[in-house]
Amino acid sequence: MKVERLAPKALATPSELQTEGRTGGSPPHLLFAVLQVENFALHALIRSDPALAARPVAVIAGEGRKAEVTEVSPEAAGVMPGLAVTLAMARCPGIILRTRDPAAEVEAHRLLLAAAFTLSPRVEFTGVGCCTVDLQGVDPVRTEAQMRRSLAELARAGLAARIGAGETPLLAAYAARKAEPVLIVTDAREFLRPLPLAFAAPLPGHADILRNWGLKTLGDLTALSKAEVGLRLGAEGVSLWERAAGESARVLRLVEPVKTFVAEWIYEPPVESIEPLFFRLRRFAERLALELRGAGFAAEKLGLTLRLEDETDYRREFCLPEPGVDVDLWLRVLHAHLETVRTAARVAGVRLGATPTRPAQKQDGLFDTGLRDPAAFWENLARLAALVGDDRVGTPLPADTHEPDAFTLERPPETVPAPASQPVHPPRGHALRRFRPPWPARVLCVDERPVGLESESAGGTVRTARGPWRGCGNWWKPGGWAVEIWQVELAEGGIYQLARTAEGWRVEGMLD
Amino acid sequence: MSLAPIKLAALRSLLSARFPEKARKPGSGVGTGVAAIDEALGGGLPAGRLTELVSAAPSSGGQTVFTRLLISTRAARQRVALVDAADGFAPEAVPVDALRHLVWVRSRTLAATLAAADVLVRDGNYAVVVLDVRGISERALRRAPAAGWYRLQRAAEGGAAAVLVQTPCELVPAVPWRLVLRASQALADAGLPAEVLAGRLEVEIVRGHAGATEEEAG
Repeated sequence: MKVERLAPKALATPSELQTEGRTGGSPPHLLFAVLQVENFALHALIRSDPALAARPVAVIAGEGRKAEVTEVSPEAAGVMPGLAVTLAMARCPGIILRTRDPAAEVEAHRLLLAAAFTLSPRVEFTGVGCCTVDLQGVDPVRTEAQMRRSLAELARAGLAARIGAGETPLLAAYAARKAEPVLIVTDAREFLRPLPLAFAAPLPGHADILRNWGLKTLGDLTALSKAEVGLRLGAEGVSLWERAAGESARVLRLVEPVKTFVAEWIYEPPVESIEPLFFRLRRFAERLALELRGAGFAAEKLGLTLRLEDETDYRREFCLPEPGVDVDLWLRVLHAHLETVRTAARVAGVRLGATPTRPAQKQDGLFDTGLRDPAAFWENLARLAALVGDDRVGTPLPADTHEPDAFTLERPPETVPAPASQPVHPPRGHALRRFRPPWPARVLCVDERPVGLESESAGGTVRTARGPWRGCGNWWKPGGWAVEIWQVELAEGGIYQLARTAEGWRVEGMLD
Repeated sequence: MSLAPIKLAALRSLLSARFPEKARKPGSGVGTGVAAIDEALGGGLPAGRLTELVSAAPSSGGQTVFTRLLISTRAARQRVALVDAADGFAPEAVPVDALRHLVWVRSRTLAATLAAADVLVRDGNYAVVVLDVRGISERALRRAPAAGWYRLQRAAEGGAAAVLVQTPCELVPAVPWRLVLRASQALADAGLPAEVLAGRLEVEIVRGHAGATEEEAG
């Protein structure tokens, strides 16, 4: 059988073909990516409160004398995590101290997940400020460009994230810690060699032992024999060695992509002016736009609800001029309306929802592609090719021969052509479903007709047999073929197609 | 007056607000070209939903259904994707013109099959995605985590594609529609037109009924 390789359509622009942020010069082999936000609680706080922007801020934990700084903004000079609150205030008199804000963190996590879903639908929420993406099958060039775009959008939305990519989730996580802001590891050994041992998180006792051995980097540890390390440090030592080599593989616990595109916030205390309301709506719009884009949707309507202090709601729905995910357009529509709104009570909460629809990308007429979303179509074909093999995806075209099971796989047409006229002789008989490879069989014949069948998965007495149909081809050159086809119905039920060749009998498939 | 209807209406309203994709009525059906199935489903395979077609007996007509579906969707110029877990599709069994709108994914493993279906269902360019897991051993199918099927159902909801899952046994958990082909066909009918053979298929509805969509719509 001859098959044609289906080449993924190149969609990257030359500017996307940059190699910055890669270890090694070979094309990246993307399997996993990790999106990580350092000082996540602090970033979540700052992006939810405009008063904290560009100010010295610290997140604190604990009470009374035990309260200490856990995360700190770069503006707070002289303050570092672990410092007592009193000392932090002494070192930086203008510092703003806050505890963690769970609502702000939930909102920031949704934003981070939305960015991850723009890379792949297979995303794991790994931990605070961190998610892992299964990139198997993606187009590496396009995905690398998308990573940079997603990071830029996250930065605009007040979340400074980094992305690392590699062959295992662990390697991607290491890369994310070193990324500025994107790092794709193509040579794992070279990348891991200079990293400090702390990256592999050794137990405190083991860290001391390794220091005494003079080991400082992951490369130092993996230069030793894994078995020897295991002999001295036990099972945890083996595990540590594997982590140092970036070998630890695991199954991702995937989260479902969002289906409803809604964001909600409760103000404490309620607000009276448009500014805090509009700030929150901008944050919502940025997140919803990313979520819609990740799911392949656009918004056709926006629904705004203001929850008022007197426990009544003010609702308004906006039909957008055209479906899209243009945040600025949404905000212009919302702003123009909110400027004219006067409510009887203060606003205690706000809710913004987007009604999803498929992007209207189909062009009729001269440039009709027949595809609703051509970019998704070709990208997904490339992804499928990476999943199952690039010679195993396409539109089948039977070969112009009587040789059994001869076909090629072609690139699918952009437009589904108009159907041909009805055939004069409509197809007859049952449809064949093949067994690939065919099952070897023993067939009992009487008067040259099959009367019994034995094979690995089907067998019994033959109730009815049709045939034979004989065919041959290419007999004048190597690779010639000759076959005798029978169709048999077994007494127990089931119609099978048998083929007799020079090698013997085979069950080719089931007539179904 | 009893408060039960009011509470029921409030509950339905709450559920439809919490799970809008469940409340959404399925889009128009995609005709399969097999009268018994189209009638059972109220017009064809429902868009945005999974339909399981169980081939409970050998030669019970599962492949005939797929062939008729190809011919029916070809006439409407709708794209069809086939994720073929056991690599059993035989292109020569279908008229050449009825293959022009088909994307055939010849999978190697069940995990890759589910991953490929996940990608295709979200694509938005296909009217029907067919997932054929016949040919995989029942034991291997039962071992596959149910989460994969739930994920596929969630992916299908809200999308435009109808998803047909062809199985050798009742497999997909919580599937809205499950149809079973129990009767083996006879070789004596092999001379009949394929359309006539499709018309003779006996389909049993095991799960779902004519009122199911209304019920789902709350």
